[in-house]
This record gives sequence, structure tokens and C-alpha cells, in this order.
Amino acid sequence: MAGKIIADTIETGAGADISTSYVVNGSAKAWADIIGAGTPSVANSNNVSSLTDNGTGDTTISFTGSMDSGNYSIAGIAGGQSGVYWATAGINKYTGAASSCRVLRGYTISLGGGVTKFDYTEMDFMLQGDLA
Amino acid sequence: MNTPNFKGTHLWLRLVWAKENLEPYQSDYRVVYEDSVDECAKILVPDPNFMSACMNGGIIPKIENYWALAEDEAKPDFKKHTRGYLLHDTEPMGAMTEEEAIEYLIMKDVPKSVWQNWDSGNKPKMVICRKGQLPQTREWRNAWRITDDLAA
Repeated sequence: MAGKIIADTIETGAGADISTSYVVNGSAKAWADIIGAGTPSVANSNNVSSLTDNGTGDTTISFTGSMDSGNYSIAGIAGGQSGVYWATAGINKYTGAASSCRVLRGYTISLGGGVTKFDYTEMDFMLQGDLA
Repeated sequence: MNTPNFKGTHLWLRLVWAKENLEPYQSDYRVVYEDSVDECAKILVPDPNFMSACMNGGIIPKIENYWALAEDEAKPDFKKHTRGYLLHDTEPMGAMTEEEAIEYLIMKDVPKSVWQNWDSGNKPKMVICRKGQLPQTREWRNAWRITDDLAA
């Protein structure tokens, strides 16, 4: 059965209510499951038009629907597994534009040491922000 | 798949419809380009959901609207986009072939300075190739450039 719910607010059982715009604006506006080290590809996504492999551990994710500016929040993780060995790392928002986001990933060996960029075999990316 | 008339529908909602109704299309094409002498050649990989939306038609805005937003963002006093309606309220593109979708993607996601003058120097700055034509192991990857055999 097809249906449509139109509501300006959502009320909890305890009687607290919030505007539905909180829910809409709180949705991830872009996400991507990126696989493959070296020359990666997009396994699944939403609101992504392409990725650009800029070099080791350096990827630009472009959006189909632009954000209102580069002031958005991203979250993500990169990881890899080889036999019994596995590794994970966070991703860094290197530059953020309304139409794309360049992210870096890598590892550090010592506390306070420099980061070596690295191609993990998988990267998951998610963006929260406001659409244009 | 018959696409609803999406003119005036927020692009985000069009993409939600496309995700629910269209089969993603994994293109075998890759675009290799150089936009800086200080950086290695870059590889653009099409998104499968974007490709299916392009090939279906009626979803993706005309490329001029992305360029207009890019011009706004390049202005020194830019704070945030105020002309998002260019993506939502204008007539969407019709159905494209896979090759047309790749050309559209180049004009959207590759710097204009590259694709407008891709063949003006002593060697091409941009090459469209198949995934299998890329080196499997890119030795000296961060110094990798477009090679003669790839450009041929």
C-alpha cells in the first residue's frame, strides 16, 4: 500500500515534540562505500557523482547535489585486511568545497610523528551538512 | 523506466527516486588527467548511481547550472550558495549514452582548465581510457604521469 505522511512535528511518547525539519536536515547528505586500493571504485553511494584518485591515500569525492558551502561535517573510516592482519584509520577533510570534498588517509607510527599516506582497501565516507 | 516530470523537484529528491528505481551502472571508463605540474596524474572514477541517472534522463541538471554555482563559489566574498534553485527548478537533461555521460562528468568534475585545453600542449593533459588500460601497479605512483602508450 502506497502512502504519504505529512507532518510538521514528531512527538515522542513522553510528549516532547520536534520539527520534522530536524530529521530531514539531520540526514546524511552524501555517503559512499569505496573499495579497492590503487585504483578504487564506488561500490554504493548516494549523492556522489565521481571520485578522483589524486595519489596515495588522497581522494576527492564529488557531489551530484551541491552543498551550500564547504562548511560541512564529514565522518569516515578507512581499513584494510590481509590474512590475519587488519588496520583501520580515520579520514581527514583536507579541503571542502560545496561541490566536492578531498580526503586524506594514512597512518602514523609514533606519537607525534608524521602521517604516511596510505591506500587502504576500503573507505567509508559520510557527510552531514546543508544542501544548496 | 519512465521518469516523473522532475522540473521543480529538489535534486535531492530526484536522487532518492533514482536510487530506489534505477539499477546502478558501473562504467568501465576512467578519465586520467593532469592539472598541476606538482602533482601526479589523477584518475576520475564515475559513480554508478550517477551514471544510471544520466543514462535514464530527466534527473540531472544541465551542466551550465553547475558552472554557474562554481562561478559563485569562486567569488572572493562567497559565503554560501543562494542559487541552489538552479539545480532544482530548471529543466533536467534528457537521456545520455554512456559516452555522453562521461563527457558530462568531465565537464562537471574535472577542472575547466584541463578539459578546455586538454590537447593544446606538447602532450595530452587528459585521456579517457578503460579501467583495464590503467597500470595495475603504479610504481612511483605519486610521480605518475600520462604515459605515451596510454595517450595513444
